[in-house]
Amino acid sequence: MSAPNPLLKTTCPIIPYSQIFWTFFRIGALTLGGGLAMATVIRHELVFNCKWVKDEDFMSEMSTATLIPGAIAVNIAYMQGRRLRGSAGSLMAVAGTVFPSFLIILLIALFAMPYFDNPRVATFLHGCAVAVAGQIAFSGFIFARRSLHNLSSYLLCGFGIFLVSHVCLHPVWAVISSGFLGYFIFTARDLKAAKSQKNGTTP
Amino acid sequence: MINSCFQLIKSFVLVGLGAYGGGLVTIPLIQHEIVAVQGWLSLNELASLLAIAQMTPGPIAINAATFVGFRIASFSGALVATLAVVLPSVSLMALVTPFIDRIKHNQHVKKVQEGFKIGVLSLIIFASWSYGSVVLLNVYDLLLAFAAFVALVKFEGKLHPVVITLACGLLSLIFL
Repeated sequence: MSAPNPLLKTTCPIIPYSQIFWTFFRIGALTLGGGLAMATVIRHELVFNCKWVKDEDFMSEMSTATLIPGAIAVNIAYMQGRRLRGSAGSLMAVAGTVFPSFLIILLIALFAMPYFDNPRVATFLHGCAVAVAGQIAFSGFIFARRSLHNLSSYLLCGFGIFLVSHVCLHPVWAVISSGFLGYFIFTARDLKAAKSQKNGTTP
Repeated sequence: MINSCFQLIKSFVLVGLGAYGGGLVTIPLIQHEIVAVQGWLSLNELASLLAIAQMTPGPIAINAATFVGFRIASFSGALVATLAVVLPSVSLMALVTPFIDRIKHNQHVKKVQEGFKIGVLSLIIFASWSYGSVVLLNVYDLLLAFAAFVALVKFEGKLHPVVITLACGLLSLIFL
């Protein structure tokens, strides 16, 4: 199984479907909290553990996944599965992500409902939920490290926060308006850079 | 039975379609569809469902679909509702991704993407604020969450995030 993978356009071997399913099953089973917390775990598994994806590509695809309706984790799984093995790979990845949570909720609905009132269980689960807050903040940290370089990007970020928190705009509109505002800012920056370079080289 | 399954499909396709931008955004939508329109759960039941959804693996929308589906039409309901909530995003992704592949190396698209990334960042910051204000009840919780954040940054790529989550659960069991 060491033939080059045509989708990756590298010498990376073709990854078996079972391995894609199993990796995403593990991700689905081991992530508490919703999509944004899950993104940290998917990144850990795909970028660092399996080394299937470059960090840069993962982050662009994650921002695309945010724009499409549906649970973010499912959208990320779809894009990454597709990157690895095309459409069949994406179905494997989505099935792997959804199956553990389906199974666990079924088991809880069948047997475990009474235990959630037990104070010890509740304390333990509350501690886990607190860690999820740290995990969401961590995915923010990763994005900030990559995207915030100068004053205009800080301002753009603050503008986006203002849109969701005070204008109460639906988050997807905030992301889209940041996208297009960002386009104008970055275009203006590049024009300015090109101009000053021109002035510098031809005095 | 068949009738309630159709109702489940209709409601959860709607939830799946409207669920943009993370679990916390989905909650009002689930509340509207499941509690207000269909009356499948009471507000109290919804609150305990959301608590369970936060504490169990997987996206909230999917947890809610499985739970409500099971309530309404047992196993087949759970299956149908879970598939229904995933269906819109999978079919939209299938439609959109080939198009994205074609345009993603375009210079202009790259600039818009940079902007999207910053937009997602502001969304994440807002999400950690609103999630934190629900979950962090006192100073100890805040310290624990901060410790989890520092551990995640420190051991990035070395330690599986679930180890840190479980450690926080154990710590709060021991000390609180």
